[in-house]
Amino acid sequence: MNITNNVFWQMMLIGFLLCSFAVPAFSGSVNQTNEDFVAETFANDIPKSKVVWIRNDLRPAIADILGHEYAGLRIRYWQQAQRTAWILEEIGKESPITFGIIIKDGKVEQVKVLAYRESRGGEIQQRAFTRQFTDAQLKEQKLDRHIDGISGATLSVRAMTSVVTLALYLTEFINQ
Amino acid sequence: MNQRMRRLHRSMGAAIALFVLLLSITGILLNHSSDLKLDKYYLTWPWLLDHYGVSNVEADAVYLLDQTVISQIGTEIFANAKPVTHTQRPLLGGVALDEVIVLATDDALILLNSDGEFIERMGAAAGVPPMIQNIGLFHGAPVIQTRQGMWRSDFMLDKWEAISLQGIGWSVPSPMPESIQNDLIKYFHGEGVTVENVLLDVHNGRILGSIGVWLLDLLGVLLTVLSLTGIWMWLRRIR
Repeated sequence: MNITNNVFWQMMLIGFLLCSFAVPAFSGSVNQTNEDFVAETFANDIPKSKVVWIRNDLRPAIADILGHEYAGLRIRYWQQAQRTAWILEEIGKESPITFGIIIKDGKVEQVKVLAYRESRGGEIQQRAFTRQFTDAQLKEQKLDRHIDGISGATLSVRAMTSVVTLALYLTEFINQ
Repeated sequence: MNQRMRRLHRSMGAAIALFVLLLSITGILLNHSSDLKLDKYYLTWPWLLDHYGVSNVEADAVYLLDQTVISQIGTEIFANAKPVTHTQRPLLGGVALDEVIVLATDDALILLNSDGEFIERMGAAAGVPPMIQNIGLFHGAPVIQTRQGMWRSDFMLDKWEAISLQGIGWSVPSPMPESIQNDLIKYFHGEGVTVENVLLDVHNGRILGSIGVWLLDLLGVLLTVLSLTGIWMWLRRIR
């Protein structure tokens, strides 16, 4: 009886320790590094990166899409044939979320959350959620569809919608 | 008995007179704090800021690059006390190229223009070798030391060649200039402590911490006793 009890408590202790190690990893998780995202997108045949400078004529439209000024003077992208990959960061509630967005023929091919650092709202990383953006296009500087929100992750959903719109807008801009 | 009560009343009155005076003056001033604009005047006496714990800001890293003081406090990067961007990684160094300031963390280079505006963060996806340990200059060209070796680039920073060189001017930390330190304190803690705050804390005793609160309790008790002894003596005189 005593031995069974001891084993039970030891297992509980190990479980507790494992859980306590797991918590910090969840609170600031990197799902995929930026370079792995680019390598995966272009099947390791990575094109040379290019930059789009956020000039004064571009700034108002970007601020309109994001709801605030873009904090940077240029944005890097990778382009091959009709596919363009963007890595953009946007703050959800308090911390920056890193998004990887692939645009093909003016439509969203895929959206991925590369790094999620918020303590809540991690549901936006689920494929079931990001799938809503597939084939989305730009319509008057907005997405052509409604994106269902997630209770408790409103700001993260808003951040993702903004950066996907921005990626579509910038792709249109560089292809002009 | 009456004599003893009078003596007690008198000595208690003398003991708390100063505190009552202080409470009265601070109370009157606080009553008119908006009219007197006490919430708009700031006190910046060093001992007071020390007392409120807002006298110092400790930077995690400081680099002086082409007359621009770059510092990291937590996850924020500052150029001359102006917040420019954030990074989750510690700053390892920086160099000033012609019109561009390049800062290094272990996984990326952070680019600022000469005005200290954030340009871009370049990581391994942009061709920057990973696991950076330091950054320096060799005849004006940026050089980084990584765990895999030494790499050199040009001002574009998107092509890196493996090298092995001597005489590289590696980035070294600088002391924080006092003027920037003061600006950072202002950024984090505002202009100082308002007169209204200080008066309020004097009035409720919290300027002395928890001891002040207990002292004020004691003062309350003494004032109660003073009132009671006063009433008692007054009643005696009437009879």
